[in-house]
Amino acid sequence: MAQQWNNQLNDIAGSLSWFIPELILALFLLLLIALALFKTNRTVLLTCCMAGFILSGVGVMATGLSTQATLFGGMTRVDGLASYLKILIDLAGFITCLMSFEKPSTHRAEYFALLMAVVLGGHLLVASTHFLMIFLSLELISLSSYVLAGYSFTKAGSEGSLKYFLFGSVASAVMLYGFSFLYGITGTLDFSSQVFFDQLIAKDVPMVLFAALMVLAGFLYKIAAAPMHPWAPDVYEASPIPVMAFLSVAPKLAGLGVLLKFVLAMNLFGQSSADWQAIVCAVLLLTITIGNFSALRQQNPKRLMAYSSIAQSGFLLVGVAAFLPQGVHFMLFYASVYLIMNFAVFVYLDFFEKKSITSIAGFSGAGKNLTWPSIGLLVGLIALTGLPPTAGFTAKLFIFSALWQSYELSGRALLLWVVVIGLLNTVVSLFYYLRIPYFAFLKSGEPAEKQNNITFQNLLGFILVLLLLTLFFIPGILMGWINKINFVL
Amino acid sequence: MQQYLLSGLLFTPLVAAFIALFLPSHASGTFKLVTLITCVIQVVLLLLMLSVYDSTGGLQFVEQHAWITLDLGSWGILKAEYLVGLDGLSLPLVSLTVGVMLITTLSSWTVEKNVKGYFILLLILNTAIIGTFAALDFLLFYLFFEFMLLPMFFLIGIWGGARREYASVKFFLYTLLGSILILVALIALYISVNDPSVPGRLVHSFNLLHMRDPKNFISNAILDPNNPWMIGPLSARYWAFLLLFIGFAIKLPMVPLHTWLPDAHVEAPTPVSVVLAALLLKIGGYGLLRIAYPIFPEAALYFSWLVALLGVISIVYGALTAMASKDLKRLIAYSSVSHMGFVLLGIASLTIEGVTGAVYQMVSHGIISAMLFLLAGVLYDRTHDRVIDNYSGLAAKMPVFFAAVLVAFFASMGLPGFSGFIAEVMVFLGAFKSGSANGLLHESFAIIATLGLVLGAAYYLWALQRMFFGPFHVKGDAAAIALTDLNNREYSMLVPLAIAALIFGIFPQPLISWINPFAQHFSDAVLTLGKSLTPIH
Repeated sequence: MAQQWNNQLNDIAGSLSWFIPELILALFLLLLIALALFKTNRTVLLTCCMAGFILSGVGVMATGLSTQATLFGGMTRVDGLASYLKILIDLAGFITCLMSFEKPSTHRAEYFALLMAVVLGGHLLVASTHFLMIFLSLELISLSSYVLAGYSFTKAGSEGSLKYFLFGSVASAVMLYGFSFLYGITGTLDFSSQVFFDQLIAKDVPMVLFAALMVLAGFLYKIAAAPMHPWAPDVYEASPIPVMAFLSVAPKLAGLGVLLKFVLAMNLFGQSSADWQAIVCAVLLLTITIGNFSALRQQNPKRLMAYSSIAQSGFLLVGVAAFLPQGVHFMLFYASVYLIMNFAVFVYLDFFEKKSITSIAGFSGAGKNLTWPSIGLLVGLIALTGLPPTAGFTAKLFIFSALWQSYELSGRALLLWVVVIGLLNTVVSLFYYLRIPYFAFLKSGEPAEKQNNITFQNLLGFILVLLLLTLFFIPGILMGWINKINFVL
Repeated sequence: MQQYLLSGLLFTPLVAAFIALFLPSHASGTFKLVTLITCVIQVVLLLLMLSVYDSTGGLQFVEQHAWITLDLGSWGILKAEYLVGLDGLSLPLVSLTVGVMLITTLSSWTVEKNVKGYFILLLILNTAIIGTFAALDFLLFYLFFEFMLLPMFFLIGIWGGARREYASVKFFLYTLLGSILILVALIALYISVNDPSVPGRLVHSFNLLHMRDPKNFISNAILDPNNPWMIGPLSARYWAFLLLFIGFAIKLPMVPLHTWLPDAHVEAPTPVSVVLAALLLKIGGYGLLRIAYPIFPEAALYFSWLVALLGVISIVYGALTAMASKDLKRLIAYSSVSHMGFVLLGIASLTIEGVTGAVYQMVSHGIISAMLFLLAGVLYDRTHDRVIDNYSGLAAKMPVFFAAVLVAFFASMGLPGFSGFIAEVMVFLGAFKSGSANGLLHESFAIIATLGLVLGAAYYLWALQRMFFGPFHVKGDAAAIALTDLNNREYSMLVPLAIAALIFGIFPQPLISWINPFAQHFSDAVLTLGKSLTPIH
């Protein structure tokens, strides 16, 4: 008994050194809550929050992308994939801080603490290899985001927040139900363990697929993919733009990481009787198509971007659907570019919202007097469409190359259809991505007053846009780094 | 020095656009000047290049640099290069681009709305078009190809006519659809092709020259000619050819994928119409000759009847629709569809005459359509009315304009002495010969295509009769006063074009001596390689 305790304590102590980034985040979370007691000004809170994200990011980088360790008796695992996604999530939190110089006007300390909590949840989620850990970290993300979504403190905001909560609770409950079945069948909660595989191969019953689909539903909810997407537009529309930008990136990437691990685990290296490739392909085609076609008729830029983020989830899933290590690498590249382009667009949308341009038609004539922000927005949207010379094109090229490669290896006609339909969807997406520039440049209207365009926000947007262009011409600087990740299940 | 000439030609406009970005927007004259100077520099560079170009030397002015080299571990290396060069196909088209861009700049002198934006977009477009013709790396080609879309979208959408928004969006969507089809083929190709210059490693290359050689295909890759995959009734290589063909045919444009063209032309401002007709349409034919045919020769042979059939349909349908058009610009736009049909027919014949004729037709149509759209613009500038029936008896009121229209119309209908005649005659020679020489096309294709000439004469002469003969009449009194004859700026644009159309019609030899080595090599390579590859379909 004592020996066992001793071993466990040793394991925990040994794990803690790998756990430094998460400890930093937890520490800063507590610090922010403590600071809220004294009415500190915005600068202190903001600096504190950004410092937390930077330190955590540096901590992840210090552990490197090629290391691997199982922590806390199989609850979480440090590996390249998780570390890379952690860095992206930290970065998303950091940029959100940069966007939050003015908003919110009340409950600031709580706002930053909640951001911190979502990022912490994301860190834990991408590292989880244990069903209970997944549930805990997912709930940490969810509960914090429910509150963040209502941060405009309006009636619409509360409604959005409540909607998010109700949908989210149901999705979590369904997921948890699925967990319970899988636990019952395999007798373990650690889905990366050998026992889990052996049991699933031994007990190949239809119930496994049923339970796995229920779990998948919970993850699809998190990444806003069809058929679990309907909450996204309402929630996004109701939340303030920095929150919306954050919610469309951080939880999505975290959910994607765990979805990837789970799907690969359930696929049992191709030994599963269920066709997981077909399931992922069906989900992604549905997601891309629904997202794109729903976006066509939107009049509000925020709703448009909500549907765009749904469609982008589908494109991210293409990397999963390839079921190749290269597909995962390319998916991480896509995820990085998605982060940059999504934030670029939201930074500019925030800028235009401050100029009280809140509908797509309201952009009429904006290209004339707010030329530079309009051009920046154009580049961001072109990147989301996937046209050169932006990294959005490179990312799409890579991710579909992986799928094509997978088609060559397996010869499944389904994958060819995904390539063709996925790419043709780009044409549809151009139609709505171009709507804002269309109004800004082609329609003449009552243009906003000519103002100083050099604001901090524009500078931030400009840097992101520059990154998008740079990554098109030299993708090697990022891809070389991602390629170091040695991906294993 | 010589090897950097092409890059100089290519990037001068981009540098100029960058400089123009920082000039104050109220000094509108400077932008015109900067663009004009850029075009003049390009002309000088081009003349330097022409002076050293050896028409029998194959690819020249080749410049090659590493661009993207990604080591993807077990998957191999992904390699895209900055690889440009000119041969007997691209040199005439690049020369055409430089010339037309100079004239376009002159034609843009009257632009008043947002001058800065207009000329910057024009300069970017200039680089993109030359880049498309010069690129020998598929990814680089695709970059320039897509890069034309945005400037063009804004040039039509901001400076266009009443329905400009509709026309620009339609243009963008059609072209993007085409380029997505090309993208699918591009992905399939670079995954299947290995760069032999790096031994020991698998190098996924975008190099168009490597893609032509069946030896460079990775064995059992999807597009491997020795062991191609079947997808439904056809092999993957045939599908890839069809994707490229449709993608480029939208650009050409070919019936029934042409419907974006009349709208874009009618709504675009005159200089943009000129660029669109004279240069952008050529990229369709160029893509077939540079990419689709040499890489998939066996599919090209198999589908030659289809290409020729669609070409003939374009010729006849375009001409018939032109005859029914009430709007002068629409008439010219449909005549372009008809003339581009000859390019398809010439390529499909795969004879030296036919291919030479197709390239000749691209250059000739570039010159003549530029002139036609400038003339339509002359009329529109004065009266803001392009409806043919609203004019009558213009010959007496504007004699010089009438003379210019006469030249342009006759040149376009292929009257001997003009460049169009040489081009169309060679296409016919090729199409007739194809049946006996390589057994690809039945003579009836050529016979039906001659209908295009008759119809061409009919719609041009009918338009002449309605607009220029009879008693003078114009709708509206203000229009009657506004109708003055050509001014000096218009002379400076139209006279060089008319002279060029005449020179290439009377002394075709210099241009043919450029194109001919390419045409020989091209038709030889496609025929021999196409027949040697297993015809699985």
